Amino acid sequence: MTGQLSTIEVMQTVFLRDLHLAIKQKTDTLGAVFFFALVASLFPLAIGSELQLLKQIAPGIIWVSALLASMLSMNRLYTNDFNDGTLEQLTLSACPLEFIVLAKILAHWTTTGFVLLILSPILAIQFDLSPLAISTLMLTLLIGTPVLSFLGSIGAALSLGLQSAGALISLMILPLLIPVLILGTLAVDAASTNMPFSVYLYLLLALSILASFFGPLASAFALRIAQE
Amino acid sequence: MLRSHQISCQRGKNVLWESLDLEVGPGELLFIKGANGQGKSSLLRILAGLATPNSGSVTWDHVLIQKITDTYHPNLLYLGHTIALQSEMSAVANLQFLMRIHGHNIPQQAIHNKLLEWGLSHKTIQLPTRLLSQGQKQRVALTQLSLSQSPLWILDEPFNGLDQMGTEHLYQTMLNHLQNKGFLILTSHLHQNFQHVIANDPALREKIITL
Repeated sequence: MTGQLSTIEVMQTVFLRDLHLAIKQKTDTLGAVFFFALVASLFPLAIGSELQLLKQIAPGIIWVSALLASMLSMNRLYTNDFNDGTLEQLTLSACPLEFIVLAKILAHWTTTGFVLLILSPILAIQFDLSPLAISTLMLTLLIGTPVLSFLGSIGAALSLGLQSAGALISLMILPLLIPVLILGTLAVDAASTNMPFSVYLYLLLALSILASFFGPLASAFALRIAQE
Repeated sequence: MLRSHQISCQRGKNVLWESLDLEVGPGELLFIKGANGQGKSSLLRILAGLATPNSGSVTWDHVLIQKITDTYHPNLLYLGHTIALQSEMSAVANLQFLMRIHGHNIPQQAIHNKLLEWGLSHKTIQLPTRLLSQGQKQRVALTQLSLSQSPLWILDEPFNGLDQMGTEHLYQTMLNHLQNKGFLILTSHLHQNFQHVIANDPALREKIITL
């Protein structure tokens, strides 16, 4: 009655479960998304309707909001599984923990980074960005937000079991995300002033690939220590 | 066969136990006794490979368990003292997930039937597990024993929260497992020994370690 499942199938199981839970526990998921939309919308209200100024600061504001929103949601990545013992079972799975962690991070990205990406053009309109700048912004978010999830996962794993882990994750990980922030905003700036911007995208892509390799490795390592 | 060589466990400066040698193989039940805080759960976690001993080693078929997690994990079913059930998911969904991450693809109907065998009702097993009582949750977790094919069971206080009927069913499940060349390690503060479970079968053996 049993058939052995492959690593990919186990990863798929974990991915779908996390997605399912994120949809069920709406407050956590939507909280980060609304936070993103609100913070990014507060700036035009506070600064006023000077279009030139808004255009200039738009990439920075949207990127910083995305950064903060994804850190806000990082807390839930492992905490629930750690508290109810599921993490022990995941550690004892036939599939290496690194791959399970990868599946969990991808599920987290789908429910935060990806949603922010979809929402970003609507916010960009408030800042009067050109169509080229908007599409560049979406491209930088597509390449850059996975880095936030991968590095955030390391922070979440390292601070597992600690009280007020949320603030700690941000303090640990936000400084590491500065290069992503700089490259992301530079690319959009360049696009809105009709300058070449592909070099920033390539650098961002390189960071993303690096993070996708080291993120799961370091997270799995930290998770094993957290359970000792 | 699972073996430990001279393992010890320390919490801070306090040595809980040391120089522990144990061995458990097919048809054997290893009962770990000890008062609260003596390190029973720590020992089980070390044997499962979730924690590392301060000294000594644990081997599975003469190889260190840390080196062969890909063969050791499929042979192991570990039920820790927190019941690993996601509170928003139903019993059926939880078990299907747990079995899948251990590599077993079990049809929903089979899980359904085993849950009913453990004395849970049709309605109960569709509810989010946060609505279940402690005893019901324990039964859901123990249903993994009936679904799993792993020869080695490590059970931390499996009798917690069970009523008379659940306890009897667990005895029967343990006996079947031992008779099928399985072996198990468990803790329980409700029992002096498990002779009444294995008394009728001379091929089975019970070992007791007091921490």
